[in-house]
Amino acid sequence: MAKLLVSITNAKNDTDRATVGCVVANASVASGVETVIFLSTEGVRLAQEGYADDIHEEGFAPLKKLLTDFVDAGGNVWVCSPCFKKRGLDENKLVPGATIVGGAKAVEFLTTGAASMSY
Amino acid sequence: MEESKAHLGSEVFYDFGEMSCGELLMAPLKAMRPLPAGTLIEVRSLDPAAPIDIPAWCIMVGHELLMRARGPDNTYYLIRKGGPS
Repeated sequence: MAKLLVSITNAKNDTDRATVGCVVANASVASGVETVIFLSTEGVRLAQEGYADDIHEEGFAPLKKLLTDFVDAGGNVWVCSPCFKKRGLDENKLVPGATIVGGAKAVEFLTTGAASMSY
Repeated sequence: MEESKAHLGSEVFYDFGEMSCGELLMAPLKAMRPLPAGTLIEVRSLDPAAPIDIPAWCIMVGHELLMRARGPDNTYYLIRKGGPS
């Protein structure tokens, strides 16, 4: 199966990039591609329960719905561990489907054939 | 998503309106999931990229695109559902 890692490094600092990253990830997982959203730097905030509830870019579905649809369709959300810790976020309040990982997990996915896109 | 009348002789009709990109693929994925393989589905879209995206999506997930019909500002697709997707 084809594999794609969508790297999202933005949250409310750039809701356009955060949203479009999720939209592309949805297109990927809905096309039968094994897909991972990798949240790092500011992007990790999207994994905090409640944070993304008010992000709704014009012309797109609300970000919370995009993430929910992504996970429901079988996508994985990986959250950069040091980025998450640095921001003092609560690992007990992750959105459904999100997993805190180290860089090795992302590197392993990429080196076993995954392509990547970055937002 | 609106379910309405079919135009191309399908068993199921979905109107995805102005949905585009990921939404336009996620919506039919979810809608078609409970349907058995072989079901004829008609999709209507207003998205200008749909004539490129829908055929590509059908190939990736194993559906058969049987027919395309272009209206003045929208396109219709007749799809036979493939495997489990």
